[in-house]
Amino acid sequence: MKLTTILLLLTFLNVTANSFSQNSRLTLALKNVSIQDVLDVLENSTDLKFLYRNETISDKKISINASNASVEEILDEALVGTGISYKLLSNNLIVIAQEEFLEKQGIKISGNVTDADGMPLPGVNILLKGTMEGTVTDVDGNFSIDVPSQEAILVFSSVGYISEEISIGAREVINISMVPDVTALEEIIVVGYGEQKKETLTGSVVNVSGKEIKKSPSSNLISSLAGKLPGLSVNQRSGEPGRDDPSILIRGVGTFVSDPADLAEANAPLIIVDGVPRSQMSRLNPDDIESISVLKDASAAIYGARAANGVILITTKKGIIGKPVFDFAYNYAVHSPTKIPDMLDAATFAEVYNEGDWYRKGRPVDNYVPFYSDEAVQKYRDGSDPVLYPNTDWMKEVLKPYSIQRRMSLQVNGGTEFVKYLFSFGSLFQDGNYYHNPTDYRQYNMRSKIDIDITKNLTVGVNLYTILNNRTYSPVVTWVNFYNILHSNPTLVAQYPNGLTAPGRLGENPLLLDQRGTDKIEDTPIYSTFTASYKIPFITGLKIDGSFNYDISNQFEKRFSLPYYYYEYNVNTGEYERKQGTGASTVELWDTYRKWTTMMYNIKIVYDRTYNNHHVSAMLGLEKQKNSYQFAEAYRKNFVSSAIDQIDVGSTDPADKNNSGSASATGYNNYFGRFNYGFSSKYLFEFLFRYDGSQIFPEGKRYGFFPGFSVGWRLSEEEFIRNNLLFVNQLKLRFSHGQTGNDRVDPYQYLQSYSFGDNYVLGSGDVPGIYANTIPNSNITWETSKKTDIGLEASLWNRKLGMELTLWQEKRSNILAQRNLSIPNIYGFSSLPSENIGKVDNNGYELVLNHRNTAGKLAYFIEATVSFARNKIVFMDETPQVEPYQNQTGHPIGAGLYYKADGIFNTKAELDSFPHPGGSRLGDIKIIDLNGDEKINAQDQFRFDYTATPEYIFGLNMNLQYRYFDLSIFLQGQTNAYNYDNAFVKLGNTDFDNAVVERANDRWTVDNPDGKMPRADAYQVGATTLFLYDATFIRLKTLELGYSLPSKITSKLKMKDIRLYINAFNLLTWAKEIKWADPEMSGDLTYYPQQRIINIGANVKF
Amino acid sequence: MKNILVITAIVLSFISCNDDILDITAKDRIADDAVWNDENLIRAYHNSLYNAIPHGFYIHMFSKFTDEAYNSAPGNWGAGIFVYPYTADNITEVGNGDYWGGYLYYWNRGYEYIRKVNVFLEQMAETPFSFDDKEQLIGEAKFLRAFIYFNLIERFGGVPIVAQSYELGEVTFTRNTFDECVEFIEKDLDEAMPVLPEKYASADANFGRATQDACKALLSRVLLYAASPLFNTSNDINKWQKAADAAAALLSSDYSLYPDYREAFILPSGSENNELIFTRNFTTTNGHQAPMHNLNRRYGAYGGWWGSNGPTQNLVDDYDMINGEPPFIYADGVKTINPASGYDPDHPWANRDPRFEATITHDSTIYHGDLMEMWIASNGATWGFDSYKQSGDNPRTNYVLKKFMPNEDVALSWQDFYTNPWIYFRLAEIYLNYAEAMFELGEEGICREYISKVRERAGMPPIPANVTGEDLRKRLYNERRIELAFESHRYFDVRRWKIAMDVENRPIMGLDVIKNVDTGEKTYTEVLLLERSFEERMYLLPIATVEINKNEGSIVQNPGWE
Repeated sequence: MKLTTILLLLTFLNVTANSFSQNSRLTLALKNVSIQDVLDVLENSTDLKFLYRNETISDKKISINASNASVEEILDEALVGTGISYKLLSNNLIVIAQEEFLEKQGIKISGNVTDADGMPLPGVNILLKGTMEGTVTDVDGNFSIDVPSQEAILVFSSVGYISEEISIGAREVINISMVPDVTALEEIIVVGYGEQKKETLTGSVVNVSGKEIKKSPSSNLISSLAGKLPGLSVNQRSGEPGRDDPSILIRGVGTFVSDPADLAEANAPLIIVDGVPRSQMSRLNPDDIESISVLKDASAAIYGARAANGVILITTKKGIIGKPVFDFAYNYAVHSPTKIPDMLDAATFAEVYNEGDWYRKGRPVDNYVPFYSDEAVQKYRDGSDPVLYPNTDWMKEVLKPYSIQRRMSLQVNGGTEFVKYLFSFGSLFQDGNYYHNPTDYRQYNMRSKIDIDITKNLTVGVNLYTILNNRTYSPVVTWVNFYNILHSNPTLVAQYPNGLTAPGRLGENPLLLDQRGTDKIEDTPIYSTFTASYKIPFITGLKIDGSFNYDISNQFEKRFSLPYYYYEYNVNTGEYERKQGTGASTVELWDTYRKWTTMMYNIKIVYDRTYNNHHVSAMLGLEKQKNSYQFAEAYRKNFVSSAIDQIDVGSTDPADKNNSGSASATGYNNYFGRFNYGFSSKYLFEFLFRYDGSQIFPEGKRYGFFPGFSVGWRLSEEEFIRNNLLFVNQLKLRFSHGQTGNDRVDPYQYLQSYSFGDNYVLGSGDVPGIYANTIPNSNITWETSKKTDIGLEASLWNRKLGMELTLWQEKRSNILAQRNLSIPNIYGFSSLPSENIGKVDNNGYELVLNHRNTAGKLAYFIEATVSFARNKIVFMDETPQVEPYQNQTGHPIGAGLYYKADGIFNTKAELDSFPHPGGSRLGDIKIIDLNGDEKINAQDQFRFDYTATPEYIFGLNMNLQYRYFDLSIFLQGQTNAYNYDNAFVKLGNTDFDNAVVERANDRWTVDNPDGKMPRADAYQVGATTLFLYDATFIRLKTLELGYSLPSKITSKLKMKDIRLYINAFNLLTWAKEIKWADPEMSGDLTYYPQQRIINIGANVKF
Repeated sequence: MKNILVITAIVLSFISCNDDILDITAKDRIADDAVWNDENLIRAYHNSLYNAIPHGFYIHMFSKFTDEAYNSAPGNWGAGIFVYPYTADNITEVGNGDYWGGYLYYWNRGYEYIRKVNVFLEQMAETPFSFDDKEQLIGEAKFLRAFIYFNLIERFGGVPIVAQSYELGEVTFTRNTFDECVEFIEKDLDEAMPVLPEKYASADANFGRATQDACKALLSRVLLYAASPLFNTSNDINKWQKAADAAAALLSSDYSLYPDYREAFILPSGSENNELIFTRNFTTTNGHQAPMHNLNRRYGAYGGWWGSNGPTQNLVDDYDMINGEPPFIYADGVKTINPASGYDPDHPWANRDPRFEATITHDSTIYHGDLMEMWIASNGATWGFDSYKQSGDNPRTNYVLKKFMPNEDVALSWQDFYTNPWIYFRLAEIYLNYAEAMFELGEEGICREYISKVRERAGMPPIPANVTGEDLRKRLYNERRIELAFESHRYFDVRRWKIAMDVENRPIMGLDVIKNVDTGEKTYTEVLLLERSFEERMYLLPIATVEINKNEGSIVQNPGWE
């Protein structure tokens, strides 16, 4: 047997050491045979294994005549005079080699090999480098080996782990921990309706393991994905507990919509959880996640008309054969806003307001009485009169320095040959950032997953889970609340020195939010999947899979508004008068019940077989889905008491009651399939399709065909590379092309319909109204996306270096757009139907580079990713613009119109010599007269080339393991994104809004004529580039430091594994220009800020 | 094993037969054909047409676009048009909605409702389906179309006449002349009147529907505008005659001025008020919040938002003294006290036209049982609870709107909706329309008579017979300003009279009340709040640039806005 074969065999054999078999006695009589023949006989008659090189023994002939002799005696006789000797090793191994080599008696080395989790690793091959001498670890991971000298090097290798070379040096004990090879070629990737080996994958699919996701302490699963998957852009624009879902884009924005507020929705990828399009992806328990795959190219075509924006496939863990393993984790975190804007203090605010007031009054030279007298400004500054001249820092008054988040997870997992199971429970509590606001979030996740082999060929399974969550908010809308925090002017009292709460801005002091009632939202969904898989007994490789899924999502919202009161200091009487706030004047309650259901079933026939070098697999399926939504709403006011928040406590007067309700339903009917052919795992081909039917479209136009194909060529399997370029482990070229659709269209657009509303009053009573909806478009059809991908994957130098480059291009057409832009309003259409007229090109690339290695006891892995996506509107129905540089066509979707600013007018001469709008004065923004007509008007705006959606996304991931410690550093960044913040622009306006310090710094004033920022209450002809800021940032997204207790300790505690860790989310941020707020913002700064989380946790397995 | 195959086959056949999964009927809307064959749905469609005409209780009242109220609303929002002049580029932003602009830029909404009316008229003409009051509903729709056109032409001048619902791309629109539009309005009203009832009493359940009298009142205003200098550039005297006749047509009806001027505007919808000809009524479920939008901070209200709907000193100055004399004389644009009026600058609000107290709250007024305190101490250290120093929601002019604001018997709360109607047409306007037309026809006596009728109700002496010519014109114009204050007339009146270059270029003034805290003595100082600049082109609104572009040259922009 060849050495290599033996070593390989040993890996899989049970290597339990028996008593050495040299004790067995043999009788042997052979003449003039080769040594190998002798060894073969010995191997066959005993359980000994021999290690040798063929060259060593090939030309030697020997004779043996032994009777009842031990193996040693036989070998001694057989090898005499050959110059060859033997040596007994542990584990029934005998090495045959040159005498001189074996005689080198050296050092005995022993040790223990564990995996990254500290579990003993049996079956690891250990070879003395440069020889064939070696051993394997036993069931406890122990080994011992004799080495000739201290210069010797041991090579540790095991399937699924990175090989390591260890220099012995002066040591006699070597304990190592093997680093798993996460990109091992055997990796299985979940794709649409199936799984494929990464090795032979031809589509553009990326994936991330649940383990990687768990490194983030964020309670929101999606936000943990930011930067982890090349091509996936995740932008978190809010940190509000339970409402912090980021927007997800796969390869940027590919389609446009008439209302920019719907852009994220129209570009949202399809999310499939365990095979079904499901909601609340962000609320899944990270501990339940096995992997998340993203289909970016034609491989998404199997999802047809819903796949144009890409598909995210989430697969949850399932039971594994073995004893039950309990996995318990507890996390305790503090979180706080990443950045709170610095707003003006009262004195500065007053000064700025006076400036604005003076400008508004026409800059009178004398007789100007400032709004805030010098005396008042002084009092604001020195704080001598906190009642009439306060200096309120609203953020400090309202927001806590940090809040609490707790997470707990308990999972048990195990199985026998027939039944595999997983049960999991998770809980989460996240507090809001306020002192006086009921905001918090609670979540409970439960899952049970069972797979049973009922007969040899039939397997059934059930996967049931729920994500119970309770969200509590103030009934006041969050942005309004933040407007009242950030823009409240600092000359308003928050709380009087005697402790009474003052009115605040417009009587909406955020400190009163705990008095104003609550908005409680309770979700109690149930997600269920029942599966059956039947292997057809007569035909190898053929099986039928079916699944039935029923999800029901119940939501109950209780919006309970209470009258609230504040105190206002009456300057005349000197008393604090109790006043009712502007909200509800009586107790009022809205109860809303909402229900969503999804019923989906599918059945598919799968064939998978390998004949010699040919691998063929095919799958055909059909799927039907029906969704429904309904809601009912009840309202009452004038409650007898606020003690009970139930609807029947409200007044029964008909004028105090109201109710509402409606429903909708959608349906899909699809056929899909995939065909794969591979030759020698070298030439790969895939074709897939979906024939998709949707009720959104008129009869006869409901079905669409969406095909895709891909090919792959594994150059590394070619002889010329295998033989010549030994450092190449994997080298693959792939190409794909396919068509997908986007059906995010309002239904029934092909019908003229009427809705209820627009009521009127005649006499003293309401009369009902109806109004016509959008005029119908009977030709409405799918939006289509054609995607082309070309990719190169390489893995080099024993997988120490990995690379993946993908270039892609997408062409969208039939984008539903309204002809609004060219149809005169005189026609009188209240809204126009969507027509399939728009076209967008989108293209970009993704590059991944990684490196893994060990340095002594340090094992490390570094991966850098860059994604780029840029879109361009090719056609949309656009009002013919006077100036071509204003067209949206040719620019990215959502690109805004801006006036080009060139600083401000610092001097009178400058103001006089440049054209400017009538309202412009000294200190105003200097706008460039783009069309040179000596007038500044709308024609001088130009279409900008960037939006708040970044074109470049970066990720840099570093994992380090040193003995029992592991460290993970993940940096995320973006560039080619710009943000225009309307709220930042304001300064000293008549609305008394407070402003950001950065806006007021270095503003133009009479005394600061060289200022770089525009004057207070600067004339705004429109949005200008002066306030358009580069949203480039790099942030330390996650950082994790873990310590695994040594097995010596865990075994004493009767635990399998104990790991303690500290991790953090959004820990540090470097922003290029937006330094006053979180640079991940989009639009105005009046929103719930993103969170920084610092978490400690423990994970125990037993 | 066979069983399993059988079950599989059954399941498969069950699945593949179920092909109707895509046939789902909509649950939240009705199909077209269902509407036009159902009397109730036809009525419901017809009801919604009444929403065509904007009322004046939106957050930003039309007063803010005039010298009636001080406007400090920031930025391009709604009423900001005099702080930040509007242009053809931004006009849709400043006045396209019910929220910010109160439909100053009415173009889009106007044409949207013209289409809705046209669809209704076409469906009624086509359908054989008939019901009792079909003809009356058609008449009401024609009245509404006429009203919509009037709202368009008073803003823009001549606009395209669209008398049917066109399909996309079917037609190129061009502007009709102002006179053609007036003719079209007259024709619609002529056709509407025979099928409409003469009138409904204001307490009738149908009050608010179009009537013959509503048609007449509309015609009166339309023809008065058409005869006015802005639109009647050749001063065609026949137009004044037509205006006079139209107003006269209503004089014989049995309307009467409501005895109490203040109360006339605060009665809830459905109350008896024989002055009302056509109104937009409200209920508690479909009401307005004008009090909370206009009152001062004391009541938790926003003073017209940012305290910017406060009546101006400019308006206050124009209230006559109780003896019938104007308090001020303007000689060469310089304001001096009219010695005959008895005006006392130390008691600026004493002995004024009673309509002043009915329309405007000022320092030391008692409103809702509260003493209003708008003063500021002479040293600036203390101030009244209702002064602008106390809260940015107290109007800076130191005046608060009182017209439309409820009396003590009605609670003031954001929670409540108010139901006092928005009055489109009332008898006093018809009197003033008549007075104006007769004045232009040289009938000064009749003019004085009808002005005096309006004054009489308010408790003001008649216009003396020695007031003639241009003096009478001033009194006539001023009467309209005072009587119809805050009823969305001023904006159009100053334009059609072509006096805006004068009055709209005057700065907006407020009044500071300075109190000597030791003596309690108050002094009054006018304060300049806003410099304004009215340009000739502002007589008509611009059509939005985007709309001009969409029509690819077939629609001509108003002069000065190109």
